[in-house]
Amino acid sequence: MNADVITTASEAADLPRRSRSRFRPSPWHLVLIPITFVLLVPLLWMLATSLETEAETHRFPPVLVPRSLQWHNYADAWRAAPFGSFLLNSLIVSVLTVISTLVLCSLAGYAFARVRFAGRGLLFIVLMASLMVPFQVTMIPEFLIVKWLGLHVWTQLGIDHLGALIVPNLVTAFGIFFLRQFFLTIPIELEEAARIDGTSRLGVLIKIVLPLSLPALATLAVLTFLDSWNSFLWPLIVVNSEPHMTLPLGLTTFQGSHNTQWSLLMAANVVSLLPMLVVFFAAQRYFVRSVAGTGLKG
Amino acid sequence: MAAVRELERNRQPAASRVRVRLRGSDHLAGWGFVTPAAVLIGIFGLLPIGWSLLLSFQQSDLLTPSTPWVGTANYRRLMHDHTFALSVQHTIVYTALFVPATMIVGVFIAVALNRKIRGISLYRTAAYVTMAVSTINEAIIFMWLFEPSFGVVNRALGWVGIPAQQWLSNPDQALYVIVAMTVWGWTGFAVVVYLAALQGVPQELYDAAAIDGAGGFASFRTITIPLLSPASLFLAIWLSISALQLFDEVYLTTRGGPLHATSVVVYYLWDQAFNQFDAGYAAAAAYVLFMATLVITYLQFRLGDRYAHYRR
Amino acid sequence: MTHLARTTTAIALTCALAITACSSSKPDASSTSSPGTGKTVNIAVWEGYTDTEGKAFADLVSQFNRTHPGIRVKTLETNNDFMLQKVLTAVRGGTPPDIAYLYGSWAPNVAKIPSVVDLTATARSPEVNWNDFWPAEQQVATVDGKIIGIPALVDNLAIVYNKSLFNKLGLATPSPEWTWDDFRNTAKALTDPQAKRVGWSIPADASEDTVWHWEAILWEADGDILTPDNSKAAFNSPQGLQATHLLRSMAVDDKSLYADTTNSKYADLFNAGKIGMLMTGPWDLAGFTVPYGVQVMPSFAGSAAGHQSIAGPDNWVVFDRGNDRKQAAITFLTWLTAPAQARQFSLQTGDLPIRQSLANDTAFVGQMDKALPGVQAFIDNLANVKKARPQVEEYPKISQALGDAIVAVLLNKRTPEEALNQAAAATDQALSGG
Repeated sequence: MNADVITTASEAADLPRRSRSRFRPSPWHLVLIPITFVLLVPLLWMLATSLETEAETHRFPPVLVPRSLQWHNYADAWRAAPFGSFLLNSLIVSVLTVISTLVLCSLAGYAFARVRFAGRGLLFIVLMASLMVPFQVTMIPEFLIVKWLGLHVWTQLGIDHLGALIVPNLVTAFGIFFLRQFFLTIPIELEEAARIDGTSRLGVLIKIVLPLSLPALATLAVLTFLDSWNSFLWPLIVVNSEPHMTLPLGLTTFQGSHNTQWSLLMAANVVSLLPMLVVFFAAQRYFVRSVAGTGLKG
Repeated sequence: MAAVRELERNRQPAASRVRVRLRGSDHLAGWGFVTPAAVLIGIFGLLPIGWSLLLSFQQSDLLTPSTPWVGTANYRRLMHDHTFALSVQHTIVYTALFVPATMIVGVFIAVALNRKIRGISLYRTAAYVTMAVSTINEAIIFMWLFEPSFGVVNRALGWVGIPAQQWLSNPDQALYVIVAMTVWGWTGFAVVVYLAALQGVPQELYDAAAIDGAGGFASFRTITIPLLSPASLFLAIWLSISALQLFDEVYLTTRGGPLHATSVVVYYLWDQAFNQFDAGYAAAAAYVLFMATLVITYLQFRLGDRYAHYRR
Repeated sequence: MTHLARTTTAIALTCALAITACSSSKPDASSTSSPGTGKTVNIAVWEGYTDTEGKAFADLVSQFNRTHPGIRVKTLETNNDFMLQKVLTAVRGGTPPDIAYLYGSWAPNVAKIPSVVDLTATARSPEVNWNDFWPAEQQVATVDGKIIGIPALVDNLAIVYNKSLFNKLGLATPSPEWTWDDFRNTAKALTDPQAKRVGWSIPADASEDTVWHWEAILWEADGDILTPDNSKAAFNSPQGLQATHLLRSMAVDDKSLYADTTNSKYADLFNAGKIGMLMTGPWDLAGFTVPYGVQVMPSFAGSAAGHQSIAGPDNWVVFDRGNDRKQAAITFLTWLTAPAQARQFSLQTGDLPIRQSLANDTAFVGQMDKALPGVQAFIDNLANVKKARPQVEEYPKISQALGDAIVAVLLNKRTPEEALNQAAAATDQALSGG
């Protein structure tokens, strides 16, 4: 059968007659277009501002469509600071964070979902507790820890190095919790069947559960990337030299105490969004899974 | 619900002793899987929390190295602090509004996006993109939308004869504007989570329901919602934790004003630590928040885990 | 090892190498030289200059590095509003910068940090010529008799008005002798609900930004913030009430004062002709797109205080990272704030001159005003800054109490009497150690 995903019975009834749906555009567009527009408003506003002159950005009521497109804002913003370096640093930090998050959270999330072990419940609550104290309070002790690590373990983990941006974020209870919930929706019979065949726990995770969890993994990857990419306060505290700055820090180049250069800031923001759009788009095909592949017949 | 139960009943395990083996305890494997994460979270997440707990029993200004022990003095002061009480109240109201609103909007949009029509990738990307837009842009746009003299919202209200509101300048309305702003900002997140969860809903259930004559909304209610419950539990808990720690949007728009109308706990404690140079007091406020979050999350878990539809 | 595990390990190792390789191999600012070996002393300066100021400062730094071979200044551009958090965290971690740009309002508390260098001796040196700095700057850099910073910036508040709007409405442009009654009438004339236009605006986010506007008016009414010994509030006096009633009458009765509670729109609204006058400082001048004029704040008729204004100086603070670095930092700051460099910086950025001698240089002032019209009025207005905010560590609490009070009055939630008395009670409590 085809792999369309449907959520209403009426649509299910429609489906076999594919030729008809090809000529008639779905009525869902009428719903989706306004929703999309509302959701996209800030992005459109950012784009518009990035193409205005600085004077236009100060106009009130705000200008929605710039008089002439100031494409040079992008070149100017790029040249205002070493954005190439900022981009590269952000990429390194975010990619490593995503990889480690996926690996470590899969392991832990699976254990919490399917493996009964002593202290499981308590450990889960304890790990969740790490999410419950605001960063403003924990940033100083985290700074001290990272400093200690830099001095006594490996310099690259210390203050003013990329390691300090990566290591505290290698795994979060958020990711563990997220994957636990998703792993719990995988039919346990599939795992049982593999265990009967003698597969180890790790094998079950890697060969059965993970392939069925691609939407969840892709989602976690995207969310982790996003969080890492936009992270501002921790890098601000930890980075002391320009070569180690990430993109959000680079954006402060345009934000003075009294004045902000809006057009350049928005141009830089748009550029900063592009890698995330690429990640979203690439992850798209993993977001949707063919339900037919779960082997649930009968 | 009947369709789900029907299918479950039809799935008998191959051999019950296998079930016991799979579901028996496996302490070694369990701890083996969990240890790397636990160690890292222990160092970077829990140690700082412990340090902050110690700090809450001290008087610290972050300036001088001397931090005398003051026992529970900070906590006692919190009990009488009117602004802190206001902040707590606002945080609770905010959370109670924000969490359900975001989940409801999210599930509807996710269902709408979960279909194979032309251009669906673009629509989906648009939903995700809202998450990528940083809070400062979100703040600017909402401040503009709700601007009392020129904002779009007041203009639209004017067309239907409602007088212009002060919104963020009105102590009675400001918090609700922030609710709207953050619901909007987090919708993408809820959509992404629900969309992933929707992939796990088997088509057979809808087919069976259709055979039974269930319409679109009925199957939404009896099939989609229950099967989304693990994701809903996740969202309810995570959104609550985030809502209780609201800071950025308040900092970027109202700074807790006007007249503390939008002061929430984390904004209040940040102000205490970095504007009033009273870090011990801020840590105490953070601890009260921490305990409250822990209790709320635990309760959500206990209730939710029992009713969530897992494949056990 | 499974295939996946092998791949993961390979990726992890590659990344570890990548981090190491991509990290800068430049020495961080912790190397020092022993005296006489000729090695360079590196010092780190944290500042929040952007745009024109950023460029001007960068120029000065490279000039300094070129002409002072034994010292190398490295700058880190970070946002000024977050500077305190970053500095405090670094201090706690034992790695503060050598020099940081810190807001003057933080001075009484920053002075308590043990690693902050006492610059009193430096200030006495003839090259620094301390008395050439404005009295307001001197006051903000001094805490309990100790000098803890070198002035980095000075400004003040005056009235900026929309000239074309005044012409259009046939209003007389403000004269230096104008009083608050004149101002109130002008504001009323500018206010037009139909045209959605309002007389004037001040920030009303209850932060210090709100408070210092009101304090300038308090001083013009011949009032004071605290008693001379800084032990109790003195602002809930008839003079304080006069200042507060003035604001209230315009905000609530005339509706000619727009209280900008998000503190972000007044400049744009001014440019759109929706606000006729602003009480603001020289930093806004470069962003105005309408013809404007600058005039000193009006005074109260019959007040002994005459014209007053208020300044918000900021400081370069030095942290002790060892003797060599300390000396290098002081050398840099002495050079940076010397008349020649201060002049260059002001001309390039339009910032007010940090030295009085520059303000007396008519050629310089003329040049400044040509580049940035109206700035001369601000420079002249520095002479009207006669008082300063109290340098007490409890000032943040006082500021918060006053901020709440003023906004409550502007939003008509409390009467001036109630508001000021409440604020005074909170102030007294804070000052007595409560």
